[in-house]
Amino acid sequence: MTRYVMVIDQRRCIGCHSCTVACRTWNKLPLDIVYNPVLSEGAQGEWPNVHKYWTPMLCQHCANPECVPCCPTGASQQDADGTVWVDPKKCMSCKVCVNACPYGMRDASHIESRLHRFVRKCTFCRDAREMDPSAQPYCVKTCHQKARIFGDLDDPNSEVSKIIGSVRTERLFEELGTEPQIYYIPDLGGKA
Amino acid sequence: MKHHYWEPPIALYLFLGGLAGGIMFLSAIFDSFVIPGHTDIFALPVLIAFIAICIGLVFLLVDLGQPGVFWRVFRTAKSIIKWGAVFLVIDTIVSMLFIVAFLGDSLTFMAPLSNLIKPIASPMLLVGGFFGLCIMMYTGIMLSTLKAHVFWATPALPVLFTVSAISTGCAAIVLSIGGWPAVVSLESLEAAAEVNHILHTVDIVLVVAEIIILLTMVLSFLGAGNITAKKAAKRWVCGSYAPLFWGGMVFAGLLIPLALYVAGSGVASAVVAPVLVLCGGCLLRFLVVNTDDRAPLPGEERYMGRIATHKNAFVKRWNYDGENEF
Repeated sequence: MTRYVMVIDQRRCIGCHSCTVACRTWNKLPLDIVYNPVLSEGAQGEWPNVHKYWTPMLCQHCANPECVPCCPTGASQQDADGTVWVDPKKCMSCKVCVNACPYGMRDASHIESRLHRFVRKCTFCRDAREMDPSAQPYCVKTCHQKARIFGDLDDPNSEVSKIIGSVRTERLFEELGTEPQIYYIPDLGGKA
Repeated sequence: MKHHYWEPPIALYLFLGGLAGGIMFLSAIFDSFVIPGHTDIFALPVLIAFIAICIGLVFLLVDLGQPGVFWRVFRTAKSIIKWGAVFLVIDTIVSMLFIVAFLGDSLTFMAPLSNLIKPIASPMLLVGGFFGLCIMMYTGIMLSTLKAHVFWATPALPVLFTVSAISTGCAAIVLSIGGWPAVVSLESLEAAAEVNHILHTVDIVLVVAEIIILLTMVLSFLGAGNITAKKAAKRWVCGSYAPLFWGGMVFAGLLIPLALYVAGSGVASAVVAPVLVLCGGCLLRFLVVNTDDRAPLPGEERYMGRIATHKNAFVKRWNYDGENEF
């Protein structure tokens, strides 16, 4: 079996937003949609003891997603490899999945034509993988810091399973029981 | 949080769906168990329920991005919205048939059709009442399953919505019972007056229950440890929603109608109080749907506050050719 996950090394992220730009460009997103914002709370602490870290976001491709069972039309679905995606032809844009997502990683564009709106979300670049099974998501390909690492968790030799097996990782809002599949290596601060 | 994902049409739809469910539920109970034999006096209330469902469904469709895909709801999933849609369709059909059964009393050309349906009107109303209860519960349960939003994800919300829906349904029946298309007779007038009398008492109980549930819910959120819930409740109790919550909902929508029901007479308790209850119920749906606070990710508010939204002029002007659907 295949289980695609992403490891995000916050120690390496420098907040350049390249992944956001790559995603927007390759996926040709409308202007009001961002699949993978790079969040930051700004500089923390008091000078000279300051640090700043970034949290690159994307859909968490949860193993137990909130957004799939609530979909009334079957548009919001999950592949066997864990990828959660929305079929634009089946989505009527009732936005119940948008409200169900605890991470706020879904939305329908407001600037598309009024009768052709559907919920959009990160697809782990599913369309690229359909053409080439070894393809990496565009945000991963573009990350010059190698802060985003994509791979198959079920393959014991993949980079992601080695990292997740050996380094302490964190997941966002784990307490909700959604079993998010984006693993963060936290930046503990210490660099200005 | 960039913007409200669900906009006013959804709040109105939840109100109208609940109103219709409440009317069907109470009409069925009164017709089958309290005052049997005067089914015709419920013709106008059910007509109002039918109109409310139809307007509600229009609002629902208006809010959809691709209304043409709506039919899939009945084919595929087992989600709560699917069940809601099924309940709504059943109640639309039942209420329409029920009205047709009594239209013949006023419109002679409808008489043959009406006489055909009339014998089953009362059992049909009972079925409609059951699904009316389902609609009322579904509107609240649908919101309360979305656990990303702390203010919705509470068992108190379906209870509040159901009690409020029955209360608004009660008010609508008080306003409309015994009217056209039912034929006015001494007997039906007496029955309508009796139902009205009982409904006044019922609405007093419901309004008191609603006050208790509403205050319990909002105040327990205010005392909660959850920061997001506390922030939302603060907005209700002493923040930007406070005038609408205390002045509009609690005072004008619940306490004044309660006082009018208890002490008032004539127009005050027969017209003003029910209308205020209806407005209060509508306001409740608006405030609840707008309180869609989600626990923010670290830095999310800062990020969202800086990027352009669909309201910015340059975003609006930008033309999307829809080249890639993903």
